[in-house]
Amino acid sequence: MPGLRAALPAALLLLSSFPPAAAKQPPWPWVPGVMHALNPSDSQASAAARTALHYSNYHGASPSRLRALHQVLKATVKAIPEVGMKYYMHFTTEDYITGEDAGSCLATVLYLKKSPPQVYIKCTHTQDKKQIHEEDNRFYQYLQHRKKPIIASNIPDSYGNIDRDHLALWGLAIAGSSCIMWERSREKLAYFVAQVKAVKQWIRKDSAVEFEFMILLHETPTQKIDLCHMHLIWILGHPLEVKYICTSDSHGLEDGSGQDSGSAAGMFHGKEGNF
Amino acid sequence: MAQIQKSNSKLVTQHYLGETIENRTIYYLQISQPSDKTKKIVWMDCGIHAREWISPAFCQWFVKEILQNYDSDPKIRKFLQNLDFYILPVLNIDGYIYSWETARLWRKKRSPHMNGTCYGTDLNRNFNSSWGTLGVSYNCSSEIFCGTGPESEPETRAVVQLIERKKSDILCYLTIHSYGQYILTPYGSTTEPPSNNDELVHVAQTAAAALTEKYGTSYEVGSTSSILYSNSGSSRDWAHMIGIPFSYTFELRDKGTYGFVLPADQIQPTCEETMLAVTAIIDYVDQKYFPGGAMMLTSGSLGLSLCLTAVLTLIVP
Repeated sequence: MPGLRAALPAALLLLSSFPPAAAKQPPWPWVPGVMHALNPSDSQASAAARTALHYSNYHGASPSRLRALHQVLKATVKAIPEVGMKYYMHFTTEDYITGEDAGSCLATVLYLKKSPPQVYIKCTHTQDKKQIHEEDNRFYQYLQHRKKPIIASNIPDSYGNIDRDHLALWGLAIAGSSCIMWERSREKLAYFVAQVKAVKQWIRKDSAVEFEFMILLHETPTQKIDLCHMHLIWILGHPLEVKYICTSDSHGLEDGSGQDSGSAAGMFHGKEGNF
Repeated sequence: MAQIQKSNSKLVTQHYLGETIENRTIYYLQISQPSDKTKKIVWMDCGIHAREWISPAFCQWFVKEILQNYDSDPKIRKFLQNLDFYILPVLNIDGYIYSWETARLWRKKRSPHMNGTCYGTDLNRNFNSSWGTLGVSYNCSSEIFCGTGPESEPETRAVVQLIERKKSDILCYLTIHSYGQYILTPYGSTTEPPSNNDELVHVAQTAAAALTEKYGTSYEVGSTSSILYSNSGSSRDWAHMIGIPFSYTFELRDKGTYGFVLPADQIQPTCEETMLAVTAIIDYVDQKYFPGGAMMLTSGSLGLSLCLTAVLTLIVP
């Protein structure tokens, strides 16, 4: 029974044959506890795949290796009563920045009502791991050794240009923003990074690298552009430490917990990425 | 900006469509080969949403391609024997200018509400196609604010009036947006498929395949409600509901990496590949309604009289 199988370790579940799908797909509501096949081009399948990739890009903590969705190959969904909707997917990916093939992934995403979705994701590697480590390391050393803080804005600019010098910084911003996007994703709410509005580095004496970002996120289907103030600490080889607050979190601001005006000196209160 | 009208004036006339809320004139271009025949119409509009800059770029590219290649491309001359093209390069002129001068990611038009404390109706939620039911907000501060009523906006009314008047001759309604890389079929306001769904999907798939041939860019084909999200009041839904058989929404490059801020070096490739998709659709429509196969050799430029020069007043910094 599918319900019992869901209790097995996720890896086993994914490695075993793809869960059997119900023959017919009711429009609404899903029959609880039963697997329903989705058309791979269904918007829900793509949204769930992207949610899984936000999680992966954030936890990967690597500005040089970010994945974007290429195509959903197969997807099924199951309603878990009182809990949420769980998606099972197999999809192909491409490198976020270059568009090159970046392998395929198996993932499950359980959308909850009020908490960040629970994601399990496992991807094949087509990119050279060693090369990625080296790129991250090079970038990290460069940032660590700076005496003058990096300050930049509008990445990309209005015309889609990104200075070559800022490409890795863009990668870091996306890796950090993926924490925000993963945590905020819901079954009917999806996110993209529209633009990095501003970035400022804080020079540190220890080995960590510290930045403040202003990120514009594009939310669908509301079409809203949300401005998020993100504070990021990166220690190579460690998970990213991300704190953020977005202008849509207005109730937070009313408590006097800080300005969203973009002043770099402002205090932030926000959710800490946890892992 | 393409100097469309200067060198290729034979076929193009500029027509008044209406005015925006900020009193800018909206023009559309009619590309029409002079002849005695009554033609059928292919309509394409761009720039409903301000921040989707690649969209007006494509309309301009399309016009340029048709006019530039008219003499050398027999396929274009064949289309124009029986079809007129009505191209609206920027519908939401106020919003478009605002996105260039003030806020790059502005989407809606610039109509003031609530004593000027809130701006903009989403024109693509303002049409009379199940208006106000799904995927909208009644709140002006929302990006999907559907307006105070169906066709409450002058821009919407301007389009509606013209299309209503000519609807028995319009075979194809295309509306260009970004981003996402989709060719979307009706409807967004319901999951109920349109009466000619199979044909619509088949033609869209042919178009998507033609597009992919150029640079490998992959587009998905499906109804808005199934592969994108539900929404009511869209222009494309309305066009199909009033009887225009081939109604499509295009969402151009990319899939989210750059999103609205598509790099300049992708403008031309995007336009080139999209051109292949649009001409595939036009080709199908042409063959379907004007069968009789072999391309007739027209008397070429001999039969054409010089029409008045159209001055296109697109405002681009």
